[in-house]
Amino acid sequence: MSDDMPDFSNVKGGSSSTATKIYVVVGGDSLSKIAKREYGDANEWKRIFEANKDILKDPDKIYPGQKLKIPPKE
Amino acid sequence: MKTRILFTLFVSAALALSACGKKEEPKPAPAPAPAPAPAPAGVSVSGMTVGKAIGADKKVTAATEAFAKDDTLYVSVDTKGSGTAKLDAKWTYRKGDKVAVVKEDSMTINATGPATNEFHVSKPDGWPAGDYEVEVMLDGKPAGSKKLTVK
Repeated sequence: MSDDMPDFSNVKGGSSSTATKIYVVVGGDSLSKIAKREYGDANEWKRIFEANKDILKDPDKIYPGQKLKIPPKE
Repeated sequence: MKTRILFTLFVSAALALSACGKKEEPKPAPAPAPAPAPAPAGVSVSGMTVGKAIGADKKVTAATEAFAKDDTLYVSVDTKGSGTAKLDAKWTYRKGDKVAVVKEDSMTINATGPATNEFHVSKPDGWPAGDYEVEVMLDGKPAGSKKLTVK
């Protein structure tokens, strides 16, 4: 980028949907972290856990590459 | 002589039997008629709006293409159809011929019908005045773009 162009490195972004989102777990993720990012509230992790009980047996055990359903924010 | 006649009869009978036993090759079954093409499935973008705020339904409530430096920029993307699709939003700043990428975001949705999706960006120290654009892609293909201005 040229020097006379503004610095956008501090821009914050996000997204949401009325449809169920699919989130791919990355290293260091936890359901709380995902809930904080997706819903703005870490305590909403239970919603994600409930929506993914078919693949999650333990909320503390998620793995990179897992595809989690993220229900729409209510 | 008798032996020769018997041999000739034996060979003739053997050839006749062989001819009778010959089976015709079964004709290959005709190829099944091609199944009718399924109705186009999947997700497509049906609308796009930019603005300063969105509602709980993810639709823009204050549509505008002119923003102030402290505004959050939203793009609301309506989709129809069902299935899994990846939406990307690329925000850029344009100054003459120069283009700077402001932010890129993506999300994958599993739609069961019409849905509304939103992307947003904010800048804590305020947006530089100028021309911006947001391009939306669906499964890697351009699905629409909108120009914005910050004054």
